[in-house]
Amino acid sequence: MPDAGVSFRFYRWLLRLYPAGFRENYAASLERQFLDELSDSSGRFALVMLWIRIFRDLSISVPVQAAREVMRDSRHALRLWRRRPLHTGFAIGALAIGIGANTGVFSVVNALLLRSLPFRDPDRLIVTHIFIPPSGSAKQFHDWRQQSSYLEDAAIIAHGDVNLGGTRESARVHLAETSWNFFSMLGVQPVTGRAFFRDEDTPGKNAVAVISYGLWQQLFAGSRSALGATIRANGTPLMIIGVAPPGMDYPGKTVLWTPSAFARDFIPHTAFLAEFTGRLKPGITWAQASEAFMVEADRQSAKHSKANRAKYPPRMIRLQDELAGPVKMASLILMAGVVLILLIACSNVANLLMARTADRATELSIRSALGASRARLSQQLLTESLLLSLVASVAGLLVAHGTILLVEKVQPAPLGSQAYSILDGRVLLFCVAISVLSALLFGMVPSLYAGRVHNFGTRSSSAMSPGSRRIREALVAAQVMLTIVLLAGSVSLGRAFFNLMHTERGFNTPGLITASISLDGSMHQPYDRQLPYFEQALARVRRLPGVRQASATEFLPLDATVFLGAPYTMDGAAPKDFRDFAMLVPVLPHYFETMGDRILHGREFTDQEVSSNASVAVVNEQFANEFGTARDAIGHQLRLGNTPPIKIIGVVKGMDYMADANPVQIFLPAHSPSSYFPSIVVRVDGDAKDHLSMVRDAIRSVDPQVPLFGVKTMEQRLDDALARPKFYSTTLIFFAAFAVLLAVMGIYGAVSYAVTQRTHEMGVRLALGTTAGRLRSVLLGQGLATVAAGAVPGVAGALLSGRYLESLIAGARSVSVSTCVVSVMFIAAIAAAGVWGATRRIARLDIMETLRAD
Amino acid sequence: MPSKDRSDFPDVTHLSPVVFHILLSLGEGERHGYALKREIALRTGGKLKLGPGVLYGSINKMLEQGLIEESDERPDAHLDDERRRYYRITPRGRKMAQAEAARMRDLVQLAAARFGVARHA
Repeated sequence: MPDAGVSFRFYRWLLRLYPAGFRENYAASLERQFLDELSDSSGRFALVMLWIRIFRDLSISVPVQAAREVMRDSRHALRLWRRRPLHTGFAIGALAIGIGANTGVFSVVNALLLRSLPFRDPDRLIVTHIFIPPSGSAKQFHDWRQQSSYLEDAAIIAHGDVNLGGTRESARVHLAETSWNFFSMLGVQPVTGRAFFRDEDTPGKNAVAVISYGLWQQLFAGSRSALGATIRANGTPLMIIGVAPPGMDYPGKTVLWTPSAFARDFIPHTAFLAEFTGRLKPGITWAQASEAFMVEADRQSAKHSKANRAKYPPRMIRLQDELAGPVKMASLILMAGVVLILLIACSNVANLLMARTADRATELSIRSALGASRARLSQQLLTESLLLSLVASVAGLLVAHGTILLVEKVQPAPLGSQAYSILDGRVLLFCVAISVLSALLFGMVPSLYAGRVHNFGTRSSSAMSPGSRRIREALVAAQVMLTIVLLAGSVSLGRAFFNLMHTERGFNTPGLITASISLDGSMHQPYDRQLPYFEQALARVRRLPGVRQASATEFLPLDATVFLGAPYTMDGAAPKDFRDFAMLVPVLPHYFETMGDRILHGREFTDQEVSSNASVAVVNEQFANEFGTARDAIGHQLRLGNTPPIKIIGVVKGMDYMADANPVQIFLPAHSPSSYFPSIVVRVDGDAKDHLSMVRDAIRSVDPQVPLFGVKTMEQRLDDALARPKFYSTTLIFFAAFAVLLAVMGIYGAVSYAVTQRTHEMGVRLALGTTAGRLRSVLLGQGLATVAAGAVPGVAGALLSGRYLESLIAGARSVSVSTCVVSVMFIAAIAAAGVWGATRRIARLDIMETLRAD
Repeated sequence: MPSKDRSDFPDVTHLSPVVFHILLSLGEGERHGYALKREIALRTGGKLKLGPGVLYGSINKMLEQGLIEESDERPDAHLDDERRRYYRITPRGRKMAQAEAARMRDLVQLAAARFGVARHA
């Protein structure tokens, strides 16, 4: 009966599903019973029924037996752990940090890059750069989008902060002015009320708003009475018509949407460019859409200069990439860093387990002699590894949570729906997967080694075998390799961060207070009332005890995401090296004095010059250098595009705006100082923090209705601005330190273990006349050879990885060869100290006693 | 006393139907696995058909609990297959089976007192 042979072979194959212990004991009996049952089943039908019974039997008994053996092996592992608590604690700690950091960073990557946006078919949503469709009027825009060859729909958006009134207290909130089809284009339905009607984006009809779910809860406690209520943005009344679903806060944490994109009632045309978001037509490929877009963009930008076009090429990118953009690369590099950490932890734990397995060679040999198969021994060790990894991953979840809290602070998610969380199916699956993978990785070597013990079945094959030593040395070398990559990277980043910290910022940070103000919608909004408001506020602040000087500016240093720019000439001559527009900064009198007296030549603006809007300017050093020397610039005339000539009255040190802009700065009198982002700056004696509330009260006393926000010391602003680079560099330095620690422990452990295992051999050598010093030198040489073996690929890896560091901290140059050399020397020195420490015992070795002991 | 017997083996009372049936079969004499399976199927009218995995899983557990043991006695060489293993009940297994039977009897008596005895047609 040919079927019987096939059936039997298949059943025998299926028996592999059972755990090793059960299989060893009962495989033969199971096979015998199967044969008996097979011979009782004559005919096709009976055979089919037999197989149904067999599969049911397997599905019940395999999990039961597996669970029993896992439980038994786990109990055995726990007994072993109790005997070596320090080893176990160290292994769990190292793995918990590795697994936890990976899970934490993965949850960031997951939120930014993998989790879908809360929109319909989000993969088809795009945004463009350096391309604005015809949007002079609603009709123009809607005609354009309806005729598009590659877009199914598109919406125009301008967004920024406004003063929210009509509620219990005045506040600054983020508002988006959109075209009427914004919500329908994204595929977002309001939870209550409605989205904008067709044509509601035309002037006269657009005084309506959709509010965010959070704002609805905050202001109306989730009541339906919100619909039809009036809310004021910059003083303009808006009727609430709908509430967006929870988690909807696109673009940029918006809480209020109005269909006024074409009227621009709230976001000034001058201050912001509009953005536009589109949805690709169904069926069109990315390549086709890109091609169609480029053709259109080329047509639109034909009037721009070629140089400008090369510098700012129009681009179409996916909305998800746009949102993840600024932090995408950084997150991926962090991910690479934590993967290295996990690999180092794994090789360290593998090394540790290897030593322990070698110690247990006798136990394993005895079990093998008693009939335990190679598979049974390997299964035991693998269960131990999995258990270790499981415990570590539970502890790792705490580390992951901590990691998320840290990342959230420095690299907040762009949308509410992208909040980082470990309570996400994909993240938890990742955690389980890397735990199991790690267990396989670090459990594999000892497990294979156990197989060898089985083969030899004697103690002679145990710890002292050259094979075991070579495996351990290879593990240490791998650790050294990974450590060098991290160490060189962290040195490079650390240096860049140090430079960033010590950049000349053009102002004195200590003793400086900043406070932002918005006059939009208040009684001080008209141009002619802005300056009097500021003069009054500054006069009150200057009267406060401890205040030395106060002034105001439209663009605060460190904070300018948007700024004014203009082409510039001096006395009709273009600059030597024109790269971009100069940055224009309107300021009030005493600004430079308040910021820290950085006037190099000339003077700053007088009250009269500001109030009369005189044609005078203060330029920075970079401007002056473009045309000659700083001293020469005074008294000359500059022009911004086609403006009338402006007289240069002072040259100052440039200020650090942390913007990707031309370092040429031109300061102008702020005649109407609330056109952009006005902030008051105050120079105080002593600790600036002590004066914060006093300054806040003084400004507020002028008019409590004017929103005052961001009342902080300049030091706090600098901390905020440097938080992200600081996080990246400290994280990488922490990783590197952790890696060095693990590597050194690995080397120390390997050598110290070798010394213990080879005591007899050393005793013989000493008896034959070798000195302890020479023996230690030999071991030192072996230790350093291991370091060298890891250093070569490590340096190559470090040089390769260096090019990605710049996306973490601007100015982080790629890893240099000298950095690599220093890293290798550092590890070699520490390793040498470790080896020397581990071999101290040799000097104290009593030859007679050692030889007698064996 | 049944209650006393049960308190001697608190960990394994009550016995699962499979274990009880195996003990019942071995109470009669030594058996190999497949013989046990057939006898149990016969006794239960085909309701309890033990697959190889479940049967040897139970045997494994019973060996660990000391309810049964492997027998060294083997049939004549021409009747034997070395892959077959023979089992017999231990004194502990016998006691357990008795305790289980007593427990069942108590339960049956209680049920009869409460519900009466059903008459079979």
